[in-house]
Amino acid sequence: MDRVAVSSSSIASVGYDPETLTLEIEFSSGLIYQYFDVPEQVYNDLRNAGSPGGYLASNIKGVYRYARA
Amino acid sequence: MSADASLLGTVQNVQGATVSVELAAETITGIAFVGGYGYRIGQVGSFVRLPMGYVDLYGVISQVGAAAVPTHLIEQEPYGRRWLTVELVGESNGAFGFQRGLSQHPTYGDRVFLVTEPDLAKLYGRQDAPNFLRVGHVANAENVPALVDVNKLITRHSAVVGATGSGKSTTVAGLLLALTDGARFGSARVIVMDIHGEYGAALADRASVYRVNPDTAKGELPLFVPYWAMEFDELLAMTLGKVDDPSRAFVVQKLHEMKMTSLQSAPRPGVTSDSVTVDTPVPFSVHRFWLDLYNLVNATHTAQPNAQDLESIAYLMENGIAQIGDAMSVIAPKYRAPTSGGGVDRIYLSGSPLNIRRQIQTLTSKLRDPRFDFMFRPGGWLPDQDGVPEKDLDELLRCWVGGAKPITILDLSGIPSSILTDLIGVLVRITMDSMFWARNLSEGGRERPLLLVLEEAHAYLAKDDAGPAAVAVQRVVKEGRKYGIGAMIVSQRPAEIDSTILSQCGTIFSMRLANAVDRSHVMAAVTDNLSGLLGMLPTLRTGEAIIVGEAVQLPVRTLIDPPAKNRRPDSTDPLVYDNLGPGGWNRAREPENYADVLNVWRRQNPRSPRLAEEGV
Repeated sequence: MDRVAVSSSSIASVGYDPETLTLEIEFSSGLIYQYFDVPEQVYNDLRNAGSPGGYLASNIKGVYRYARA
Repeated sequence: MSADASLLGTVQNVQGATVSVELAAETITGIAFVGGYGYRIGQVGSFVRLPMGYVDLYGVISQVGAAAVPTHLIEQEPYGRRWLTVELVGESNGAFGFQRGLSQHPTYGDRVFLVTEPDLAKLYGRQDAPNFLRVGHVANAENVPALVDVNKLITRHSAVVGATGSGKSTTVAGLLLALTDGARFGSARVIVMDIHGEYGAALADRASVYRVNPDTAKGELPLFVPYWAMEFDELLAMTLGKVDDPSRAFVVQKLHEMKMTSLQSAPRPGVTSDSVTVDTPVPFSVHRFWLDLYNLVNATHTAQPNAQDLESIAYLMENGIAQIGDAMSVIAPKYRAPTSGGGVDRIYLSGSPLNIRRQIQTLTSKLRDPRFDFMFRPGGWLPDQDGVPEKDLDELLRCWVGGAKPITILDLSGIPSSILTDLIGVLVRITMDSMFWARNLSEGGRERPLLLVLEEAHAYLAKDDAGPAAVAVQRVVKEGRKYGIGAMIVSQRPAEIDSTILSQCGTIFSMRLANAVDRSHVMAAVTDNLSGLLGMLPTLRTGEAIIVGEAVQLPVRTLIDPPAKNRRPDSTDPLVYDNLGPGGWNRAREPENYADVLNVWRRQNPRSPRLAEEGV
């Protein structure tokens, strides 16, 4: 999955696969996670958020299931 | 103030290699500035220099102290009588550079100086020497690289010890990355016994990963350990378990016959029917072996015990078919029930005197257990009933010791724990044997040394453990040097490791060790007059190691160069409070799906089935 860099202290880059509704996040620790069943709108909001880390914490964490890639 | 700011004091007392130094009255405690750099005076573990004419002696400060001063001397000695205890370690003279050992001793009144950074570079230096490899930098001097001699590091064995969370796995990964740098060591080869499956991700591009349930999406390969590559005792432990002496003699004979038969149907170069023994790695069918033994002890016969043979077995007839069983699918034969009446139709019990019914039952269940398939159904190495497999062991050895990538990771995380110790013994023994016999070939260890990394060694190399793993590793550490196979023992509990093994490790990377018993074991294993330096072990920082032994010129407190963040082993502590990562207790609970949990558990593979595609 192709990811684009975002400016955030906790997230390095994000990518999205509309086929499988999978959001991929590379954290600044270097670890890559995939969140499942994420609507495309959430991905767009995440990319456009002023603070992607804050958006992640309030709208994605605790909402979608994820696994380490 | 002294003319030379680096002067510390003068020698007062010399006893063997231990020197007492009294600090000069004008030496200020704290920081001295030499050549623009600040140096802390009287730091335990730092070096001092004692110039003796053309030769400089070097020592390590092991103790510092001060004593009270009589009041009438307070003017002359305002700081009190301050002293250092120094352990001498070596000398340097202009022509030869630094060497361990002393050709002369200092005497009273000799002056003692600080060791400045240019001096340190001289001590640890030799960056130009091609057999020296940088593993990090000296802890108190960032510009001075810590170098290890790869020749000694590999063949004289090494140990990496440290408490959990002290950075052991990261250090090992860093060392392996440095050792397998293709530009310098294009033919490096390393086998890692990875008990927890930690290293696969960290060393991905340098390593072939063999695993019982391989994740083919990640390029992992199936791990096979063909049972017929084992020696008789190993095989017996894996199959029947303990048997009494008469049964053992019988099994030996049976196995020998089967190997002979196999050899007749498919001759193997290097072994003849005269030279084959039960230990020779010649294929035979363990399934045939099982069926024959099963028939022998369980079958009923139409003949009396003294006249029984295969022809006289009284198989049960079901739908007109004799239930002779099937070796390859481990289906046991069925027999007619014995009768006690007379007449021609009488069925007799087996006349076999062997007392191995229970052991055969164990073997039956092992042959049926898919967890043992890596051993009993090893892919192309599975012999047919006549004992002829598709592939021979050369293919297996090529995978293990001659793979395309420099590192071979044998990921043992899916192995039943009951056979883990035995299996590691087998793996180490096969590796050692191949290196031993190939010692004159270009593939052998003498020409292309092999490093064997043993993770979590305390789990299978315990003290007083005479198990196959301990025996095999002892052989490696005692004799491996001659055949080019070196061990790197990694453990968090050095105290639990067999001391013969630990004491054979020429180089020790000791990370933080708080436990006093563990520390004393490491100190005892250090063949150096500098064990005093190891007093610092409880206070080392994470990722910091004291390297002592043959691979370093001097014991050195080192900050090991960590691998890049995405190349660290998968063993970092989970965060309970995690505000940067995705997890932790401080989040709402997303929906959960324990079907996925069960899925990965059953597959014995931690990779989520939901992942869309491989993340980079």
